[in-house]
Amino acid sequence: MKDFLGFTRRNLIIYFKDVLAIFFSLLTSIIVFVLYLLFLKGTFVDALEATMNGLENFVSGGDIDMLANGILLTGILGTAMITVPYTCLQTIVKDRESGVDSDICATPLKRWKIVLSYFTASTICSFIMTSLILTVGLIVIGSMGDLHLSIGSYIAAYGLMFLGSVSSTALFMLVMLFFKTSSTSTAFFGILSAAAGFIIGAYIPLSQFSDGVQGFCNLFPATHITSLIRNILLSGITESIDSSIGGVDNGAFITAVKDTFSFNAHAFGTSFSGMNSVLYVGILALVCVAAMMVVYSKTYKK
Amino acid sequence: MKVIEVKNLTKKYKEHTAVDGISFDVEEGEMFAFLGENGAGKSTTINMLTTILGKTDGTAYICGHELGKEDDEIRKVNGIVFQNSVLDKKLSVKDNLLTRGSYYGLSKKQVLARLEPFSERFEMKDIWDRKYEKLSGGQRRRVDIMRALINNPRILFLDEPTTGLDPKSRKLVWDYINYLRKEHKMTIFLTTHYMEETRDADHVVILDKGKIVTNGTPAELKTRYAHSRLVWYTAKGEPAESLIQNISSKFVYDADHYNIETDRNLTEFIFEHREEIRDYEYVKGTMDDVFLNLTGKELAS
Repeated sequence: MKDFLGFTRRNLIIYFKDVLAIFFSLLTSIIVFVLYLLFLKGTFVDALEATMNGLENFVSGGDIDMLANGILLTGILGTAMITVPYTCLQTIVKDRESGVDSDICATPLKRWKIVLSYFTASTICSFIMTSLILTVGLIVIGSMGDLHLSIGSYIAAYGLMFLGSVSSTALFMLVMLFFKTSSTSTAFFGILSAAAGFIIGAYIPLSQFSDGVQGFCNLFPATHITSLIRNILLSGITESIDSSIGGVDNGAFITAVKDTFSFNAHAFGTSFSGMNSVLYVGILALVCVAAMMVVYSKTYKK
Repeated sequence: MKVIEVKNLTKKYKEHTAVDGISFDVEEGEMFAFLGENGAGKSTTINMLTTILGKTDGTAYICGHELGKEDDEIRKVNGIVFQNSVLDKKLSVKDNLLTRGSYYGLSKKQVLARLEPFSERFEMKDIWDRKYEKLSGGQRRRVDIMRALINNPRILFLDEPTTGLDPKSRKLVWDYINYLRKEHKMTIFLTTHYMEETRDADHVVILDKGKIVTNGTPAELKTRYAHSRLVWYTAKGEPAESLIQNISSKFVYDADHYNIETDRNLTEFIFEHREEIRDYEYVKGTMDDVFLNLTGKELAS
């Protein structure tokens, strides 16, 4: 066990001691935040107000602001869920390229433990970083107004961070198999980080895209996690808005908001319930973990 | 006692045969040198013996453990210094060594205890907390050797340990290797393409295109494959050349001296003609000559 923990610890230190790696792993999230301050908030608020249709007297501007802030936070979390585990897992490619993997393979550390250590370290990195963003985000948004969240919602939110970290890491473990040099994995990261904001619907709500594009985006576990976390973090505020409307619209406003901002994932004409999204993410994680244990062990037997 | 026994070891990559049925033994405590140019199969052999690469054919026993069947046991008795640095550049020397120790199931206390006998000799105190990337080439090599000693290995594999180092660092690395060999009776398995580094080896194997060309002690190899030379500083022409014909027909005149190749013992000849042969050098055959004669290629010196 000491060998497994030691190698996992090493992989964690490699990420956390590299300030540049941390910065670049959060760059997309930072860009989402900056764009929000510049114009995205206005776009979100406009979209929400356009959906109101005569309900302006029932819904306060403060509640709309809180809703937009919450959507921003879930967007930041969703992009981090893609970029943080990917950056952390680039250690695998760097180790392969620099010959560090030979040094590791010359020790009694079992091959399956090597694979599991990379996976565990990246999951922990991703969980720490996304939980940190979630905590800071909740404190900042909490200081601006009330999100009407229960203790259970907080626990569920951190639980989703864990589930998202596990599934994203599992998926990217397989992606890393295709890269032989860090220059190619970094080039792919450039594309991925540029696309991440669109994939999880941080820049433009996914509902604006065609069914096919939505289907592709929802292949990523991070997109499902973003939808799930929206449901949890914004359930209090949507219920509060709904009760202030008092049933005048038969819940049409909140339903429209949830559809516009993809509170439920849509793929190929099917709408995922929360439980279905959890199941999809969980099954995807299990399949990827099983595949990585089989394939990686072979790559270390040269 | 034999610590390495290799028979018909082979490594093939599709069409290419990197190591072609080599056989050799290494005795405990000896320094065993693998000599060959780049691509001769030296590193591939080391990688197979340290379980990093799988073999295609043949058998090998490391400290009595069969390669391919008892790899975990083999990994416990091997230490390896790679051609290129394989430690983490962003981590400190201390973090690097402690994490590597953990791969062998060692606690921090155990790692420090294992390295304690070498720490002073390897001057680790000054660089212990420094980042690996901030170290000079020589200092990095020092840490690489320390890393290889973490598991208290019986055999230390060194894959071209001085390549790319300046002369001062090369000398220091050799001081450390000789120290480990003499003071700790460690078996040293070395690959190199520097001729002079095989001078102190107990056994040298010359590898070319994946095959063993010859093996023996440096003295044996020089006797078998290299010629001694008499360098005689004198004027060109007679009477010198008549005198030279008595001992060898292979000679050339370079600048201000004759280079005379001969296998004869010249002590008596030089004494007899001490009046004529006043300024001379007697040069023993070198490992360069051995390699050149066997492979037709020259190596770095």
